[in-house]
Amino acid sequence: MTDSEPNTKPPLDGVRVVDFTWIVAGPTCTRLLGDLGAEVIRVENEQTLDSIRFGRPHPNGFDPPDSGAMFNWLDRNKRSITVNARHPDGLDLIKRLIRVSDVVVENYSSRILENWGLSFEEQRAENPQIIYVSLSGFGHSGPQRDYSTWGPTAQALSGLTAMSGLPEAPEPAGWGYSYLDHMAGFTAAAAITAALKHRRETGTGQWIDLSQVETGMALTGPATLDFTVNGRRYRETGNPPGNRSVWPQAVPHNTYPTAGDDNWIMITCTSDTEWKAFCEVSDHPHWRTDRRFATLPARLRHEDELDEQIGSWTAGQDGRTLMQRLQAADVPAGVVQNGVDLVVNDPQMKAREWTVTRDHPVIGEHLTDGLQIHFSRTPAHRDRPGPPLGEANHYVFAELLGLSDEQIAELQMNGAMG
Amino acid sequence: MGALDGVRVLDCSDPRGHIAGKLLAGLGADVIKIEPPGGDPGRSYGPFLHDQPGLERSLYWWHYAAGKRSLALDLHSADGLELFLQLTADADIVLETCQPGRDGPFDPLALSEYRSQLIVISLTPFGQTGPWRDYAWSDAVGLALGGPMGSCGYDNRPGTPPIRPTEHHAGHIAGYFAATAACTALYERQESGLGQHIDIAMHECMGFTIESSAPWALYEQHPLIRQAGRHAGPQPTEPWQYPTADGRLINIFGMPRSEASWLALVAFIQERGMGENLSDYELLDGRKRQLGLQQPTVATMLDDIADFIAAHEAEEIYAGAQAAGAAWSIIRTPDECLADEHWHARGFFVDVEHEERNLTVTFPGAPYILSETPWTHGRRAPLLGEHTREILCGQLGLSDDELGALVASGVAQ
Repeated sequence: MTDSEPNTKPPLDGVRVVDFTWIVAGPTCTRLLGDLGAEVIRVENEQTLDSIRFGRPHPNGFDPPDSGAMFNWLDRNKRSITVNARHPDGLDLIKRLIRVSDVVVENYSSRILENWGLSFEEQRAENPQIIYVSLSGFGHSGPQRDYSTWGPTAQALSGLTAMSGLPEAPEPAGWGYSYLDHMAGFTAAAAITAALKHRRETGTGQWIDLSQVETGMALTGPATLDFTVNGRRYRETGNPPGNRSVWPQAVPHNTYPTAGDDNWIMITCTSDTEWKAFCEVSDHPHWRTDRRFATLPARLRHEDELDEQIGSWTAGQDGRTLMQRLQAADVPAGVVQNGVDLVVNDPQMKAREWTVTRDHPVIGEHLTDGLQIHFSRTPAHRDRPGPPLGEANHYVFAELLGLSDEQIAELQMNGAMG
Repeated sequence: MGALDGVRVLDCSDPRGHIAGKLLAGLGADVIKIEPPGGDPGRSYGPFLHDQPGLERSLYWWHYAAGKRSLALDLHSADGLELFLQLTADADIVLETCQPGRDGPFDPLALSEYRSQLIVISLTPFGQTGPWRDYAWSDAVGLALGGPMGSCGYDNRPGTPPIRPTEHHAGHIAGYFAATAACTALYERQESGLGQHIDIAMHECMGFTIESSAPWALYEQHPLIRQAGRHAGPQPTEPWQYPTADGRLINIFGMPRSEASWLALVAFIQERGMGENLSDYELLDGRKRQLGLQQPTVATMLDDIADFIAAHEAEEIYAGAQAAGAAWSIIRTPDECLADEHWHARGFFVDVEHEERNLTVTFPGAPYILSETPWTHGRRAPLLGEHTREILCGQLGLSDDELGALVASGVAQ
């Protein structure tokens, strides 16, 4: 859609980010910053490489550390340098880079940067305007700051895992991926861009301390208030509700089977108008006048029966055709799509050029996915693939930091770079 | 001060934009929530104070509208729209959520051209273009079509559908993009002096929020298998959720990678007289104890761990595993989170006065701790039209009579 054109600058053009992130949460944040035009420099170390560089799939043969699709997907639009922060000269290189940068982002456990000698105070001594983001499971304060999380365990602790599932199942369905890695990354991006705006106005940087679990708990407002205000515990009332809606009240609101193996359509009638329209399309106009289904209170009481009848009607129908019929009558309905559907079967994504072909030195031609924020005047971009390890060493050490070839060779020899 | 102090937002969003406005308010912006007379639809979402519905009793509204001001104004009336356009002269951001072909009160692109300093954010289900742009939508439909839901569900309950996580997550995901877009455009405007129009398709935001489904789809067109309480994957993997003696569940994702951590975890279990098979020397190899790699050593290990978890209480297991360096967790419900002193020590939960009810309410608070520009929860959610007079009379200079006429004709409230 609005990929960058030659004469436009992306909105974060000129912002330089020192990126110590790994796995998914931090890289989600810096991918977004990179898409928005920031120069993101991944600081990597050959001894402790980001395991995402090794994760599957490897579409053109397993040739790490540069052949991973997950890495190339998540770390596009970034540069890569290799530095050993535990080597005094390596630490010095990092400090020099911080002096000419705007933002430092990391998602290590809460004491790692401190142990390197890169606490916020130490960073600020190098660059008084630096914006530092620490993204850890529990944050950098509090009695459990040394506890650690991965996305799935953070989700579990935040309450979000328990809020996804069938009411009759003792175990939640939870999330089939690290939702909070993404959300913590998005949260960090919002905070960083706010801090950049503030700094441009006042000249003041700051430290943004993120706890991944807190980013999740911040998304549980009404359920938390139901406890703090009404004293009701989450599971007391048959929660989680599967695919039904507790609030806003809406019936039908569920998934129903369609033709084929494991295909489903979500149908939600959020008003009487939508319910009436649904009945017209459904070949069962009598549902509208059936006492059990005529009003929302009645449908709430007879939801099981209605869901069963709707499921019998949808079963065997082609899901996408049914979606179009329902949408033509203005009924909110959508098939459950997976990632492959988004890439292959989604006409909306096609129309908006959500995927485009790009090249990569090891993987070759591949698809990269879309931008989410389309600016009319300062478009974001997605032109650069994930960086081969250390591809920006010369750019950063020679051009940005002004080291001579001899100095670079010396640092390579003594283990500061690598 | 907040990072967005001095920024004024005219928030015309429906529930899909509620969190976006809340995030901007938390960062310090003056967010004017423009509600239709009669009230925003979110006021009808429960749960309600003491389970009694009412315009001012929705706990959903209390959470998402906190820190905003309420201007009740009918933008579909000529007078209401004219007043809104006057307000845009003194505003920085307009947030709107109308689908382009669906009877929105104004054309966002035209508005952005009319006021060149203004940042106009259109946060809509499918964006401003494309064949689905006006498709009827709900949060659940958004999660179904957008991809997140396709990875969530049960492998151990045959015939069950994908499960959509509850609590308006399509809005949550897109809301963070809208907040980032707003801050980014404000930052850019500091240099250029210009606003712009921003098109955010929630559908595309969902598409970035599916983790490894994306590379598997983009590169291999390979769908993933959904599995209860753990990552969907190209092949089935071992369960992560195990029941405890006190009827709760532990998530064991994050088997220790370092040997020291693994030995500490084994010691924690064996000190309690269990886990004899965990001494297997093969498990000293970090790969041999990792889940999801089809390691033959894992089955026995998991049997021992499951037996141990089943014989102990959740809090004891959680504290012991974390002390050993294993990132295990309890699967908590939102109410259970309030019992954890760590979040109180960090000041996560905040008490907010609801003065006319003589009530202090504890809310989940900041998603980030900003050292120089602290996040603020702000005042309790506004009553319907609570700030109509101060905005229309105080800011735009309407007389009491003029306001009275607008109220009488149903344009304002």
